[in-house]
Amino acid sequence: MVEIKDPKSKKYDRQLRIWGAHGQAALESAKICLLNCGPTGSETLKNLVLGGIAGFTIVDGSKVEQQDLGNNFLLSEADLGHSKAQGVSSLLKELNDSVTGGFVETDPEQLINDQPAFFNNFSLVIATQLREATMLKLDDICRAEGVKLLAVRSYGLVATLRVSAAEHAIVETKPDNAVGDLRFHAPWKELHDFAMSFKLAEMDEIMHKHLPFAILLIQAVGHWKAGHQGKLPSGSKERTDFKALLKSWQRQIDGIPVEEENFSEAMTNASKVWSQHGIPSEVQAILEDDCMNLNSSSSTFWCLAAALKRFIEQEGQGCLPLEGTLPDMHATTDLYLQLQRVYQTKAESDVTAVETHLRAILKDNASSISSISRAEVKLFCKNARHLRLVRFRRLSEEFGISCKHNVLRQALTAEDQATNATLYILLRAVDRFYESHKHFPGTFDSPPESEIPMLKAKAGALLSEVGASPSPAWDDCLAEMCRFGAGELHCVAAIIAGMAAQEGIKLLTKQFVPQSGTLVYNAMGSTTSVFCL
Amino acid sequence: MNGEAASPGWPQVVRAKLLQQRMKEAKILAVGAGGIGCELLKTLALSGFENVQVVDMDTIETSNLNRQFLFRKRHVGQSKAKVAAEAVQRFRPSCKINAMQANIKEPQYNVGWFKGFDLVLNGLDNLDARRHVNRLCLAAEVPLVESGTAAYLGQVTVHIKGTYECFECQPKATPKTYPVCTIRNTPDKPIHCIVWAKDLLFQRLFGRADVVSDLDEAAEKAEGETEGDAAAAAEQEASFFVRQTGESSFAYADRVFHRVFCFDIERVISMKDLWKTRKPPVPLRLDELRHAAAGAASTNGIHKSSSSQQATADLSACRLLGIRDSHAAWSTAQSAQVFLMATQLFLDLRSDEVGAAVFDKDDALAVEFVAAASNLRSTCYSISPLSLFDIKGMAGNIVHAIATTNAIVSGLIVAEAIKLLAGMPENCRATHLRSSVHTGRSGRERIIGPSMLEPPNPNCPVCGTAQLSLEIDTHKTTFKELLDRVVRRKLAVAQPTIQYDGFMYEEGPDLDEDEVADYAKFLGRPLHTLPAGGIKDSSVVEVSDQAQKLELSIIVTHQEEWDEEKDPEAFSLGGKLPVASADAPAEDSSVAGLSSLTGANDDDEGIEEVFEEPAFEARPNLTSKRKRSDEEQSPIEKRLKAANNLGEDCEVID
Repeated sequence: MVEIKDPKSKKYDRQLRIWGAHGQAALESAKICLLNCGPTGSETLKNLVLGGIAGFTIVDGSKVEQQDLGNNFLLSEADLGHSKAQGVSSLLKELNDSVTGGFVETDPEQLINDQPAFFNNFSLVIATQLREATMLKLDDICRAEGVKLLAVRSYGLVATLRVSAAEHAIVETKPDNAVGDLRFHAPWKELHDFAMSFKLAEMDEIMHKHLPFAILLIQAVGHWKAGHQGKLPSGSKERTDFKALLKSWQRQIDGIPVEEENFSEAMTNASKVWSQHGIPSEVQAILEDDCMNLNSSSSTFWCLAAALKRFIEQEGQGCLPLEGTLPDMHATTDLYLQLQRVYQTKAESDVTAVETHLRAILKDNASSISSISRAEVKLFCKNARHLRLVRFRRLSEEFGISCKHNVLRQALTAEDQATNATLYILLRAVDRFYESHKHFPGTFDSPPESEIPMLKAKAGALLSEVGASPSPAWDDCLAEMCRFGAGELHCVAAIIAGMAAQEGIKLLTKQFVPQSGTLVYNAMGSTTSVFCL
Repeated sequence: MNGEAASPGWPQVVRAKLLQQRMKEAKILAVGAGGIGCELLKTLALSGFENVQVVDMDTIETSNLNRQFLFRKRHVGQSKAKVAAEAVQRFRPSCKINAMQANIKEPQYNVGWFKGFDLVLNGLDNLDARRHVNRLCLAAEVPLVESGTAAYLGQVTVHIKGTYECFECQPKATPKTYPVCTIRNTPDKPIHCIVWAKDLLFQRLFGRADVVSDLDEAAEKAEGETEGDAAAAAEQEASFFVRQTGESSFAYADRVFHRVFCFDIERVISMKDLWKTRKPPVPLRLDELRHAAAGAASTNGIHKSSSSQQATADLSACRLLGIRDSHAAWSTAQSAQVFLMATQLFLDLRSDEVGAAVFDKDDALAVEFVAAASNLRSTCYSISPLSLFDIKGMAGNIVHAIATTNAIVSGLIVAEAIKLLAGMPENCRATHLRSSVHTGRSGRERIIGPSMLEPPNPNCPVCGTAQLSLEIDTHKTTFKELLDRVVRRKLAVAQPTIQYDGFMYEEGPDLDEDEVADYAKFLGRPLHTLPAGGIKDSSVVEVSDQAQKLELSIIVTHQEEWDEEKDPEAFSLGGKLPVASADAPAEDSSVAGLSSLTGANDDDEGIEEVFEEPAFEARPNLTSKRKRSDEEQSPIEKRLKAANNLGEDCEVID
């Protein structure tokens, strides 16, 4: 555990409870680069600065104008005429004195073209309000250096968000309703012996009522297997019979079973006997990944995954390491603690086994990793069932010929996604419009409506590349896109910035699973859609 | 359901001159200046709102700084509302934000005051206040945008009286409670020990002596003693914890330790019945832990040196003892050290608070005391001790809070507020923010999920058909007059049960003589002198009649001056007609009056027979999900709709 100094832990108390001290430590070592600091960019960075990143660098070449004051809270009158990056940067530093910040007064597009090496040392680059062509270049630069990229854009009442990274491996995915494997189907020897040491028939009434349901189920499984060639109950008939077996063990008065809470818990948990033994497909895919062929520069994650694989093949006999957590159950405190100890002991010995494999693996591959603590191995084992690997598509794939057009076609005809899919296409169309006309639709002197046909032409071309026909909302959305005039509305910017910072924190702390595709937020209908293209 | 139908429409109005003018002029009430409130005030100001009233009773804490970005370290201890308002105004002088550091439940914020706003936006952290604001918004007929966040989860809902569900149409989860006997005698989980340490021991030692906790009272009775014995025992118990004249803080801490972790445990062990199925606890002996604890505690007490106010607020037993890691569970000896030290610190350096202290999750010393006491008790009962960090979270019911969720939710609130001002209430949505990737049934990933707003729940005890408002002189009217004239005569309630926060009155054949006599004592008292603060301006009084399956709530407005000609009865009852809920058994016709109303929903005539003088509008309440025609729209909806021609004159402003 990382020890956190007192004042900080007080300041970050409410968030430490979500991502823990190690998550906070990851955040506190993160260096962020923000490209363009309009409301979308400034608000995104503000949320991360409050969370306590190590530092940031803002890249923006523009000066503060009157209209900026209308939608960017991090600028004030005193900044008028001065560098926008400087203004935002100095106020952001005020928000959290443990964060260092700097700025570069240059147009991001120019920096991307002239100094690609600039981005090498950041943990995360947040690119806001950039057009497709610029984003493509930036994605290549970031991928080459293993820097994670977050693209954020708000455009009128629409906003988008997209993560790009070659590989993002997550140990702590923190699923909402994770149910641990309690091994009722195949108890290890110590658990089996412990469970079988209780003789139900000989117990007094009180003990009978307080025998943990885990023990009841393990005994029932043992009993069942003995009569069924060592097989677990399968099919609804056998499962009903299994429950009837449990029921027959209940104490009775005049032939009527007595209410016993531990037995009713056993009934509700009986399904744990025949569900979720195997290795989940996401984890299986990781174990079969090409990266499992280790070399000296393999990451900690892959070394741990290799150790996990050996464990499964050897000690685990096909099973993942035991989580070791026992849910709350009706029992005497004493019995519960004894049972808990049996589970914890097994979990610890599994960790030790994985750790032993890991040491051998690191040595065999002459790994450059200096050390992996037992705590890390333990965390990995505890979460082994929920490991996730996300490989984000390249932007050049999404924007090029390998775009998954079928996904878009499907979305354009789906009732609940048609509008957002249309907006996605139009957002790409406005960039093409810009390439031809050097301004965004609706930002020129002429009335916005006059540019609808030109945008329609660009969008129509895109639509035929996708191989789709216009959705019913097509004409309305086109007109609105022109009316937006590429403006950033503060409340839309604030919402997408909140989501962007959240995805950023997921990437930096390596906790929770980030969105794997392009997220479209539509403020008109309060809807979001994610398209993996 | 999703929001497809909502678009297009909004974009055409969002930049229209008329809407911008309306946003500029709209009077907005923002309740709460915390996590959501800070973001909300900023977003309101930058979206073009210029008249905002913000109310928040809290002061700024260090643990707010990770998300409440309008506050700086130097503001700790100051009013949230005032600092937030100043910060936003400094950046946007055109936006007038009026700040009040006050509890929104105070009587000056009455129905009339709420009526002065066009919209109410909630950014509150407690259910009690949210329900209160909901009721006042209903009574004042002001639309409410309600919000909440917890870690990555958030939600925004819109409530319009008569059009959409009110905040209380769906029952809300209330905090978990634990059996008294478990807390007092037979804890088996850490939380039981924490509740004991916080609600019982902390209260005993440092809290107000006259607040006898429910735990105390109920437990004494639970042990089978008679009423008189219980009172005597409680008094005796309470007096033990009073510090003796001349007693050093060291001796006091020592005495309390022995009492609660040794003497009391031995007493509980002696109750043999409890341990037939459980393992009895083990008492702790301070002398055995002493060698470890000795070095820490000073026999001379701790003296207030030059410590400033700030330092007093930051007092920490752990720091003095050199215990740094708040994520590791303490040893028993460490818990004993912290317990003794924290008790002494409280008595020596915060003596002015003793007797009136209230547990606060951001009070380091209070949390340390509770953590130490609960861990010591856990040790007695063979329950695994927890870390200070974990205990703080459990004792303070701490809701995880991060900047990002607040940013999203506040933006969503403003988006709904704009729709309301644009006269498009039908475009409003309930929006739910999910944690990370949520894969719906369709297999699609979503972060924000909108859903259509539901019409009011006809059985809602708050907004439904049973929402009434009463103007009455709460100083002159007696409780009996209220019962006879209003409850019985106007509302035709046969056997009323009257309830409000902290008070309950019942009638009926099931009561015994003593109870009837007890209740009779209240009858002659003027309303404002009734127990628990009385019935006064802004009080919400729940009236129910079990026999009639009737439940309704009355919002009271204090009114002293009455025109005898116009209101000879000197009160005025308004609101919609009370209707017995649909599932009420109709067979009980012996109950006078209202049972006929069950079937009288759409029959105004029938109602007039029951009410001698129909004092308020008896409009049938239509709550089916079909689309309502214009005639059926609520007054607020109509008002909002009137603004909807904005859509046509789309003047783009640059």
